[in-house]
Formats: sequence, structure tokens, C-alpha cells
Amino acid sequence: MPNENAAVSKRLPDSDGNPQQSHFVATEAFASIFEVLQGKGYTVIGPTIDQHAIVYDQVRSLQDLPQGWTDRQGAGEYRLERRDDNALFGYVVGPHSWKHFLFPPAMTVATADKTASGWTFQTPEDDPPKYAFLGVRACELAAMRVQDRVFMAGPYVDPAYHQRRSGALIIAVNCSQAAPTCFCTSMGTGPQCTSGFDLALTELTDGFVIAAATRDGEEILSELKSRPATVEELRQAAAVTQRAAEQVERRLDTTNIRDVLFANLDHPRWDDVAQRCLSCANCTMVCPTCFCSSVQEVSDLSGQHVERQRQWDSCFNFDFSYMNGGVIRDTTRSRYRQWLTHKLASWIDQFGSSGCVGCGRCIAWCPVGIDLTEEVAAIREPTS
Amino acid sequence: MSIPASTTPSSSQQVPNPWQAHAVSIRSIQQEIDGVSTYDLAFDNAAADGTYRFSPGQFNMLYLPGAGEIAISVSDDPARSASSCRHTVRTAGNVTRTLGKLQPGDTLGLRGPFGTAWPMADCIGRDVIIVAGGIGLAPLRPAIYTLLRERRCYGRLNLLLGARSPGTLLYRSEFAQWEERGLVVQTTVDQSTPDWTGNVGVVTLLLERLRSFDPTNSVLLCCGPEVMMKFTAVTAQHRGIPPERIWISMERNMQCAVGLCGHCQWGPEFVCKDGPVFRYDRIARWIDVERL
Amino acid sequence: MVSVAETRYLLEQLQFSANFPDQVLHRLAQTAKMVEMHAGTVIFREGSLNETLYLIHTGRIALEMNVPGRGAVRILTLGPGEMLAWSALVGEGRMTATAIAIAESQLIALPAPHMRELCEADHEFGYHVMREMAAALARRLVATRLQLLDLFADSAPGTNHAQ
Repeated sequence: MPNENAAVSKRLPDSDGNPQQSHFVATEAFASIFEVLQGKGYTVIGPTIDQHAIVYDQVRSLQDLPQGWTDRQGAGEYRLERRDDNALFGYVVGPHSWKHFLFPPAMTVATADKTASGWTFQTPEDDPPKYAFLGVRACELAAMRVQDRVFMAGPYVDPAYHQRRSGALIIAVNCSQAAPTCFCTSMGTGPQCTSGFDLALTELTDGFVIAAATRDGEEILSELKSRPATVEELRQAAAVTQRAAEQVERRLDTTNIRDVLFANLDHPRWDDVAQRCLSCANCTMVCPTCFCSSVQEVSDLSGQHVERQRQWDSCFNFDFSYMNGGVIRDTTRSRYRQWLTHKLASWIDQFGSSGCVGCGRCIAWCPVGIDLTEEVAAIREPTS
Repeated sequence: MSIPASTTPSSSQQVPNPWQAHAVSIRSIQQEIDGVSTYDLAFDNAAADGTYRFSPGQFNMLYLPGAGEIAISVSDDPARSASSCRHTVRTAGNVTRTLGKLQPGDTLGLRGPFGTAWPMADCIGRDVIIVAGGIGLAPLRPAIYTLLRERRCYGRLNLLLGARSPGTLLYRSEFAQWEERGLVVQTTVDQSTPDWTGNVGVVTLLLERLRSFDPTNSVLLCCGPEVMMKFTAVTAQHRGIPPERIWISMERNMQCAVGLCGHCQWGPEFVCKDGPVFRYDRIARWIDVERL
Repeated sequence: MVSVAETRYLLEQLQFSANFPDQVLHRLAQTAKMVEMHAGTVIFREGSLNETLYLIHTGRIALEMNVPGRGAVRILTLGPGEMLAWSALVGEGRMTATAIAIAESQLIALPAPHMRELCEADHEFGYHVMREMAAALARRLVATRLQLLDLFADSAPGTNHAQ
């Protein structure tokens, strides 16, 4: 746990990943966090409603948050509904994840310019905003840890991710409820936020129990009007997370999962799921850990200036595995198998952990409601 | 802030940007066979000039602005020169067609070298069998140059080369020189022509027939079409070469070349950084899986 | 004239017969005869009857098939350790291809009728001979399939380093 916490120099002296003494901040006082963060030069990104979904975007005040809203989710289903209270974080996760900001969907990674003496090549100066992420869930903290290993654990480091990630402040929030699509408890990633944040919030009816895990977090907390949390508030906060944990009904059996999947690359279930899968790539776009990308050549009209634009790509796209005039994974069966076995099996070989954090986005946002937990269960069934 | 210390590069260390290309200019173009040419690329940038080093088996990304990038294995002698570097390219797609239109003096971009290398150290004191198919000889040529330069470090050296037809045998003009320096070259073609007096049949047959090696003390290096490599490995094991001394060079859709873009995955392997050169026993289980 | 002992020694060096038990090797050596073929010699012709099975000791033999309009198409060359004229033993003796020595070649000739008799009379001997025969044909079949795949054809997926 300690090594998954803040960089050593920034960790609080007596913190070993254990939350510092928790404070209580009333909702009205919490509203000033936006000014505090903006004052420190942060661009605050948080949940907000756009096109009938809770997405992550720039938020400037409490009014931008989806106060009083919740989401109803199921396989292939996502709906916003009114809550009967004014909770600020009374929902789970939507179609966006923080990778939108750490690993932008489109960005220029290199440029080429034609000069009198031929082509010259540059990598553009990248000057991303200093982000404060407000409302990061436990499964999303886990997803960041996963992508940290993908983009920064070497031998090569992705400069864009590295720069954005190092500058980002993480304000986590413990889930107060779970959706039927959630299975963080199976993946060991939630619902309680345990590490990887600067501040962690638990929402109560009239305010927040807040704990700081880093000096930055501590500093921000000190600028909010707060008081030490009472024993009763701490009990209520624990009950909130407990309730969310109890609401998680979906299970993914991870026992020996790598070997089980690799031993079943010819399982008839792949044919079955291929009949349903549209190969639309939605699951990879909403997945908080999927990291595949392609580079497009974008020339100006004269052809003298070329930008190499990196965009998210997906292993479901037909030409993803193109090679020498042919496509290796030319069937939906092989592409779904690639995605699932990568996420749940080969990821373990590559990065030392599962690529799945149990957020359930791929289940909710699949237009035909394919549920990977069901697929895995079916693959575990002995074939007749 | 909240980055695990274990995954964070130390701030003092300059993180090189993997997308930065070197400008190189074409020093010469030599046509090898129909549709295959070798480009000698000279570093234009003074900083890169003289410092470029690669190991046999590694590849570079060649970048043609507007057309895109391609992975091309280095086909040069690693000891020849650090100011230029030869690449043998077959014209096949948009990028290679664009490259084919360039003339000596024209510039392009180069990133590299990337990927794993042939196990040259493991060859010392052993017989070495090189099995190549078609243009698969290109990534093996740096290994051949190395073996011949340090000839006395190695046992018997054999090159078994298969091609579609006599006219597609790569680097044919160098064979006499290689033989003179101690590499036995045997060739075979799938499709004979009336003037061809050499072997006909697939390259695995040459390996079946090979006598001058000690299977218990040999290293086999193989590059060619995947199916050919698979059957070469099967034949080699049948001949008594242990799978941990059989090495193959794989190919997949290498785009970023640094394991970040996901395109070249093959089972748990990123061919760009875990390969392209793999020890056979480590990947044997993936080679039979269709559409992986 | 080559002695039985010498022939036996040569047989032991060949892939085809390297693993035969003593008894089988001995019988085979007694039956065998060394023959020399100069480069250019036609050993047998496609469609002809041939009653000799050969094992190649040294040299190189080409197999050709006649295709109207294309002439003799060379489909395979054989080298040391390999078997030639399998149809003499397991077929009707009618050759499926023309065999030409394309280098000075030394072959071990085995009279097919006598081999068949030995196989019939001594199933132990027959088992070893036929097992090697099957293995040799299987290798040739796989090689033919690989040839059939035309792996070096342009723009075939899996062709290494050919972007």
C-alpha cells in the first residue's frame, strides 16, 4: 500500500497510506474548494451533466456538479434520474474516465516541416493544464495505477501521460452506492478509496468527511472551513462505503483467470459472443485502462507541414492488426477474444495486474449488453 | 502528487521523447531483387551522427511525412559505420511506395533502434545455423556480418536460405564472399526456373539434410514467413536442437515501436519491445493460435 | 565392390535407416547395392516402371514432372539421407516423377521385389522399413504443403519485414 501512495517526498511524515485525521466540511464550505483549487492554478475537472450522461469536464462551481441526480445502469443501459436528495456524488461512473485528460483522445505527438535542406522533425512543446480531478472513484484510482504501469513503468515513458499525471491533484470520493454493473469488489479495487489520492471525500447528508493523504491535500483541506470529524460522522462515513459494498451484486471469478482464458482460446463461447458483438469499440472507448492508439498523418495543404496526430484506437477496429496487405484478427471472434484475454489475462504478464478494475462501463455502454463477467463465467463452464 | 514512486521516472533523469525522429538522408539506393531495395541512410543531425548504434536483429521506424511510418529491420553491419545505416525494404504498401519514389539526397525521418537482438553472445563457441526465408534474410544479415567478423569465436556456420524463385534470392552477390570467410551457404527455391540448377523445395528440407553441426551445441536463428519459422523450429527440434537455442524474429503491426500503442500485441508479447527476436520456447504456445 | 559391412555402415549414417535395429540393418545391407550416377543421368522416368528403391548417400537428385506447354517442371531436389522412388515399394512401381542426378551421386539401391518379400516374411523387418517409409513420406507431404502455401508470395500476411 505505501508504495502506491504519493511520491515519497510529498507524503505526510506520519502517513503510511493511512488517512490523516478526518475532518468534516459542510456542503456550503465545500463549495469554496473550487476557488481554493483555482487559486493554486488548477483546472478542476469533475462530474457534470452533458447529453443525458454524467461526464467529466471542467467544473467551476458546485452548480456544475450533477447535484440531486443519479444514474440507473444495466447491461446496455444508462439513464439519469432525479434523486430524492441533493447529493453531489450520488451516482457511480459514466461514459468518461480520467484517461480523457491523462491520455487525450487526440493530440499531436510530432511534427515534420519541409525546409530547403529537407525534412526536419520536432516533438511539440506540450503544455497541459495542471489538473485537479474532483470525484475520482476507487475503481478509477485503480485504473490510474494500471495506466501508470502502461505509460510510465518503462522501458519507454509516454511523455504526454507522464506530464499530465505528475501535475494532477486527485480528490477521490468514496462511492455511496453501486450500480448493477459494478464489480469492484471482485477485482479488489473498491468501493473504498485506500490510496493514490491527495484528498478523499465521503459524502454525508449535510457535508463531507474528508481525509488528506498528501501535503498538497493537507494544504487544500486547511483552506476549507472544517473541523475534526466526530465519531458519529466517522461511523456514518464508514456506513456509506459499507452500503455501497453491499450493493455490489455482480461477480467476476478471478481465480486462476489468466490460465483459464489462455487454456480456452478455442472455446465455443467466442463464437457465441461473436454473434452478438458488433465490433463497435464502445467498450474500449469507455474502459478506463484501454490504451491503444494510432497515429494519423495530418498535412497542411502545401504538404510542407505535417502533424502526427495520435488518436485513441481500438483492437475492435478491423485494420488494427493490419500487416503486409492482410489483417491478422479479421473476425469479430478473434477481436473480442483479443480484447477479453488482453484485459483479463495477458495484461497480467505485461503489467503485473489485471487490466480490469470492475467499473462495469463496458457492460453499460455495450449497445447489445455484452457482459464480460457472463462471458468469463461461460468460458469457465466445461465444454460439452 | 499521487503517482506511485515505483512507476515514476526520477525527475532528475531526462525522459527521452520516443516520438522524436532523426532526420536522415538517402546516401545510396541499391536494388537487390525485384521490388526490394537497400537504402543507406545517413544521419543529418550532428548530434545523432556518429553515435547511432544498433544490435543485429533490431529495427528502426522509417518515417515518410504525410505517408506514415514503417518498421524496417536494420540490414547493416553493426560495426560498419555509425554515421549511416542500411535498410532493406520491400515495396508493399503506401509508405514503402512513397520511399520508392525518393532519390539519393532526399530526407526522411528515423526513430530507433528498437526491439530485441539476435543472441550473438549465446552463439560463441557453438555451431550456428541461420535459416532465412525470402526477405527474412535482411534482419539476419547483421548477424552474419558479426559472425564472420569474429569468425574464430564460433563453430561451423551454415546459412540455409529459401526463396520463392531463383530471382528472389536476396544478397546473392555476397554469397561467394560469405563462403570464403567461412559461412556455408545453401539455397533452395519453391519454384524452379529452367536455368536453375540448385535445390528445389522448402528450406526445412535443407535443415533435414544438414550434417555439419552438433545439435547439442548449436544455435539456430530464423527469420521468414511465420509458417516457415514454425516448421523450421519443428524440424530443428526433430534434429535435436533444444528449443531454448532456437530464435525467431516475429512481425506484427509495429506503430509506436515502444510498447505504448498496443498494435503489435501477440498474446502477452509486444512484438516491438519484447521482440522482434524471441526465444522459441518462450513463444511456442502462441505460434499455433490462429488469428492471435 | 562394396562390402556388406561398409554398406551397413553407410546405412547407419542415413536419416532413413539410422534408427534401425541391428538385425534390420544387416538384412538391408545384404540386399543393398551401391550405384553411382553421373550428373545428368536419368535414373527413372515419369510413368515408367521401376523396381528399385534408392537411398541417397551423396549427391543431389532432381524430381521433375511433365506439364504440357511448360515442359519438365522441377518440383523437388533430394539430397543425402533421403529416399527416392517410393512408388517402387509402396506403389505399383510406376514412377510419379522423373528423377535426374544433377550432381555426381552415390545411391544405395534396394531391389523393391526382394524388399517386399522380406517385409512379408519378416514383419519385424517390414514394420521398421514401412515406418521409416511413412515418416519420410510424411516429411515430404508437409514440405509439399508448405510449397503449396506459396509463403513468399507478395503481400501475404506473415511475410517477414516486407512492409
